[in-house]
Amino acid sequence: MKERILMIIFVIFLGTVSAGLLTSVNHYLRPKIDKNKELKFKSSLLDVFNLSYTKDKIEKIFDENIRIYHKNNFTFYKSLNNEVAFEFSGAGLWGSISGIIALKSDLETIHGLKILHQTETPGLGGRIAEKEFLDQFKNKKIIPKLLIVSATKATKENEVDAITGATMTSKAFEDILNKTIQQYLQILRSELN
Amino acid sequence: MFKKINRLLYTRAGRILINGLWRDNPIFCMILGICSSLAITNRVENAIAMGCGVTFCLLATSTIVSTIRNLIPARVRMITYMVIISTFVIIVDQFLKAYFPTISEAMGPYVGLIITNCIIMGRAESFAIKNPVKYSFLDALASGLGYTYTLIILSIIREVLAFGTILRYRIVPLSWTNWVVMAMAPGAFFVLALYLWIMRSIAKLEPRK
Repeated sequence: MKERILMIIFVIFLGTVSAGLLTSVNHYLRPKIDKNKELKFKSSLLDVFNLSYTKDKIEKIFDENIRIYHKNNFTFYKSLNNEVAFEFSGAGLWGSISGIIALKSDLETIHGLKILHQTETPGLGGRIAEKEFLDQFKNKKIIPKLLIVSATKATKENEVDAITGATMTSKAFEDILNKTIQQYLQILRSELN
Repeated sequence: MFKKINRLLYTRAGRILINGLWRDNPIFCMILGICSSLAITNRVENAIAMGCGVTFCLLATSTIVSTIRNLIPARVRMITYMVIISTFVIIVDQFLKAYFPTISEAMGPYVGLIITNCIIMGRAESFAIKNPVKYSFLDALASGLGYTYTLIILSIIREVLAFGTILRYRIVPLSWTNWVVMAMAPGAFFVLALYLWIMRSIAKLEPRK
């Protein structure tokens, strides 16, 4: 009996110490983690707008150059040159893919693209987050539809090369982009009229 | 000098180090930690980060288990290991997110999966629970390094074949055709199986009859 009580006391004690430790670590590191997330988001926005920045001036340049608009629960980011950016997200092959896309002021041409989060196969689908892949999207037309075609076959102005060995991810990425772009374009156009 | 080293190898500490690094190497002798050595060895940088994370958790867990080994009731020792291991893994995860966000992102969910690495629990149960702190620490260090160097060897083979690079520096000519399969799970199985075969032959490990 005594043994059992000791055992229960030990487990409770262990749980308390561990929970206490984790709570204090969380309390201490959480602001830093949130700040990192916010800075990453802001610097990504600056990236898609092609604005240069240094690490310690991200917030200042962001506040000077980018305006935030909300409409029907959608959020838009506008640069001083009237380029428009918004977030996209959807299901990839293994998990969700999210990122930011910026359109030029004509609302037909891609200005820049950036992935914020993805959990695709490292080295294969995971390469959608790499610059070489995303740079292809610059100046591509999104009208009538963006197409990701099998590697080295992209010729038209709305076509982009897929990643070799990652057909499913490329396809999923294409769907996410087209779906999100259509949604946001509708709102943007209704705003213009 | 040589004699001195030789003598050191036959002390208890020396034997523990050799066992972890070679004779009882967690991967090719005990076949533990296989999941992570299959999953994250497609790039050398991932292997290094994973090796460091596991080694840290191993050191912390073994040291603490060994320190309180006389207080842990035998019946709940497994739960005790799990609580200690997961506490440290969460701390590593949070720490990376706060101070090394880029590494944390590259590792993705694999940091959290250190919890499931059998090596840590294995060392706690087979060594730290019945040995003094300093030997438990050495044992954890040896196992951690033994695990890390194996990951690095595997990842070098896979990254060179799959991408033609090591730590993203190109080392084979551009005309090299990438073996895409090496970046994927099947490639990992081939490399790991060959590695186990070669290492077990060198170490003269026979299957127990």
